[in-house]
Amino acid sequence: MSEALVFRNFGLAHRRAGGEEVLLEGVNLTLPKNGFFVFVGTSGGGKSSVLRLLAGLIESREPAPRVSGELLVFGKSLTGDRPDSLNNEVAAILQDEGLIDELSPRQNVEMALAASGRSRKLAPALLAQAGLPKPPDRVSQLSGGMRKRVAVARALASSPQLLLCDEPTAGLDPDAAHTIAKLLREAHDQDEGRTTIVITHDLDAFDDFADGVLVIDRPTRSLRLEEPEFRLRSQDSVTQSTSDSDGELAAVHWTRRMLLQLAAIGETVVESVRRLPPVEMRQMLRTTVRFILEPVVFVAVAGAVIGGLATFFALRNNPIDGGFETALLTGTGKVATAVLVPMLSGFFFTARIAAGASARIGTMKRTNQIAALRMMGVNPADYLLTPLVWAMVIAMPVVTFAGVVAAALAAALATSAASGITVVGWATAYFMTVSAQDVLIVLGKSTLSGYLVAVACYHLGTGPKRSGADVGESVNSAIVVGMALVLLIHAGLTFLVYA
Amino acid sequence: MHRLRYFIGLLTLIGAIIAAVWIVRLLRSLDERPGVSLSVEFQNARGLRAGTDVRYRGVTVGTVRSVVISGDGDKAVAQILLEPGGATHARVNSSFWVVTPRFNGLAGGVTGLDTLVRDSYIAFYTPPGSESQLSPGSLVAGRESPPLNADPEALDDIEHGDLLMSLLVPENYELQPGSSVIFRGVQTGDVRSVSLAPSGTHVVVQLRIHREYRQTVTDKTKFWVGRPSVSGALLSGFTVTDLNALLTPYISYYGAPGEGVLVQDGHRAAAELARPELEISSVPEEAVAQGNIGKRAVPDDVVLVRITYAAVERDTFSADDQILRHGSGVLFLDRSGRSVVVSARSLVDASFTEEDAWGDPEIADEITKVYRADGTVMRAHRVWTDPAGQDLAVLVLEDVPPNLQTTPSDRLLFQGPVDGVPLQIRAVGPDGAELSIQPMASDLVLSESNLGGCVVADGKVIGVLGRKVGDVSSTIVLLEHLPVDLRPQ
Repeated sequence: MSEALVFRNFGLAHRRAGGEEVLLEGVNLTLPKNGFFVFVGTSGGGKSSVLRLLAGLIESREPAPRVSGELLVFGKSLTGDRPDSLNNEVAAILQDEGLIDELSPRQNVEMALAASGRSRKLAPALLAQAGLPKPPDRVSQLSGGMRKRVAVARALASSPQLLLCDEPTAGLDPDAAHTIAKLLREAHDQDEGRTTIVITHDLDAFDDFADGVLVIDRPTRSLRLEEPEFRLRSQDSVTQSTSDSDGELAAVHWTRRMLLQLAAIGETVVESVRRLPPVEMRQMLRTTVRFILEPVVFVAVAGAVIGGLATFFALRNNPIDGGFETALLTGTGKVATAVLVPMLSGFFFTARIAAGASARIGTMKRTNQIAALRMMGVNPADYLLTPLVWAMVIAMPVVTFAGVVAAALAAALATSAASGITVVGWATAYFMTVSAQDVLIVLGKSTLSGYLVAVACYHLGTGPKRSGADVGESVNSAIVVGMALVLLIHAGLTFLVYA
Repeated sequence: MHRLRYFIGLLTLIGAIIAAVWIVRLLRSLDERPGVSLSVEFQNARGLRAGTDVRYRGVTVGTVRSVVISGDGDKAVAQILLEPGGATHARVNSSFWVVTPRFNGLAGGVTGLDTLVRDSYIAFYTPPGSESQLSPGSLVAGRESPPLNADPEALDDIEHGDLLMSLLVPENYELQPGSSVIFRGVQTGDVRSVSLAPSGTHVVVQLRIHREYRQTVTDKTKFWVGRPSVSGALLSGFTVTDLNALLTPYISYYGAPGEGVLVQDGHRAAAELARPELEISSVPEEAVAQGNIGKRAVPDDVVLVRITYAAVERDTFSADDQILRHGSGVLFLDRSGRSVVVSARSLVDASFTEEDAWGDPEIADEITKVYRADGTVMRAHRVWTDPAGQDLAVLVLEDVPPNLQTTPSDRLLFQGPVDGVPLQIRAVGPDGAELSIQPMASDLVLSESNLGGCVVADGKVIGVLGRKVGDVSSTIVLLEHLPVDLRPQ
């Protein structure tokens, strides 16, 4: 079996509202193993779609491209359900490289090594091989070329049979582009039987390295293999509208989208439970500590202001001077401890943490970091959702606890300021009706709302992100949905338990 | 920047944990406050809540920890925690009840008014006596209404000598136990009980008049119920009399001075239907004169003291005899400046009076106390008895307070009987009041408590009242029998 890829009467079409955009039709092509192919074609011609199909990175929240005919990778069909055994054989270097920002370059490579079951100690060698014997500590310190090198090193970590590269030389000057091309060729040659497909607009950089050029011909919707000396003619790059109107109805399209959204929510919830046992322990602990320490000052101040003001004004505006003070304190204490402060703490926590978490996940999605995780064989749920859920579920009650305590202290101060009640008297009255049941309910409310906010953040963050605006939108939604969930949980549980 | 933020967050968290520990310890210390916890059962908790007071005589001595329904569901059980100070008053005969506001109509007044703006509370009352304390954890049955004698304005105990009488009124104008009885605007007593006569024709109100005002009630005294009366005319406006009776009706009475005879306990009188038209006489002249008395007939500077003498006569073959005597004596300074009291030997020396068939009586545990009019008490011991057998003895006071007032030496006469001069005998009664006894020429009637009373002739003390030798009849023992060194200088 010497074929890497076999296209048989292959067709590919994007589903759009009101119609389909057909990209490829009736493709019959065979790519041999051990070839280094450069993949060219006009923008929007379907290069990236083919690559994502090969890499298994089809967006599950959107209507999937309609695939017809057959596509075999190492003899395994991709047109039906994607076989899991392919995951270790295919690696991809995506646009923006998808380096995980919060890890060091070396950790990025180590993560890929660990995911493919190899020793982490190979990382320095891989990086050295990619031309980075001493990488800096942070991904943000890498230059464009260095990012590509780290990405190559990471992609090679699983020693894939099929290496896919999306625009690896974009944004580099011709010399750097040539170096990267050379690096890719060296990496290709290093492992016998490896097939490499590089999407590029920069055919010159790969001049000496390509074994063949794959061309998507937009007007004829065909895919063909040319000699390495092939160059796109200028008219090939002219984008033509090829929209057909024989697609599905708009209503069906939107219904499909909506059902996909619902299914995606269901999938996130199922994932959140299925992936609950933490795999990335360090990630989980780090997230938990961050989620506790970052908002705790904020929530404590908020709790103190609320508890103090509520008590102060309850006592100060008492219509019967000196009367009912104990009763007022008792009521205020119960309301503040069991209802008010936990709910507001939930709000503040959501505003502070949910926004950050969904922005982070959204950015990771936008910059292909999540796709990269998937390519490495790391389940994004393990790396992002599980730590988020654990951190929220642990941090929300802890932070709420700090808020309640701050509220109680402020109430004690306010009491001594507004009336002559002693601290012991205050404690007696304030906590008179607060029982262990209330503490459990507060714990339950904050834990449940923490879980739901975590799921909402993850779900909104991992949605399709075509632009930075999408990321911003997801942050907005995370705050609104998170607060709505907190409100719903607190109002619902409080009503259920106390009414 | 991140580090600083995390550091501040960590500090806040640690602060919150410390504060929480503090609050929990504070709350736990509330639970572990020393005191006695009790459970009190009520039919109805009447708005009792956790955190309300437990009061004894109006003072908060504890807190209600919780109010729950008893296991069988027909009682409300209040768990209370009494402070150690209050717990000593909670005894097995204590009554517990819940104080809530109660309206009995305007004229009947409101009780438990303080609960209108504060919570209901538990009150308890312990009758006098020394029953054992309630042990911690006891379950006590609470009362549904306060016991009569434990009302916040509890009725005073009736004292010996108070006048108890019944007043018959046609209608009970909201009179209740504790209502005042007023004479000339001064409270002289109170209503003890109100009940409908069995025949139903009238209401019987039991009154108590304090003993010091007993003489204000005679068979001619008129009683009426003080209650508001409004009279008026369209043009002249309205007049309300007895305005304070709006809230607390009372009983008033009046009798002209010197009219009628004093009444006995159990006296019954019918109340007037309305406030009678009274002619209040002006203050009598004697009353004005009384405060201006110069010198009394009997010289005041003779210092009479009351003496109590207690001793035990030990008998060989029978139970010991307890001896307790009261009498009087005259206090003065002797030649050497000691405070001495001269009195009858038969009062202060049991060996002088007691007889024993087997020889001299054995007297032990002698205690002699001298009481002065101002209430001070001093121990004393005998220093001299008349060797001639006269009933005369001299005591010396121990622990004499400074500035002790004594009889001036010129008030004492150490001479024989004075013929033709009227005698006056003064003694101190067992209640401390000075008695004046008119001696009869033929025979002095001797009451046991008159022993040692001083005999005054022409303003001077010439002797004390004692017994004749070998006789129980009384006689005057002259001071001339005193030896010189026991006389004043």
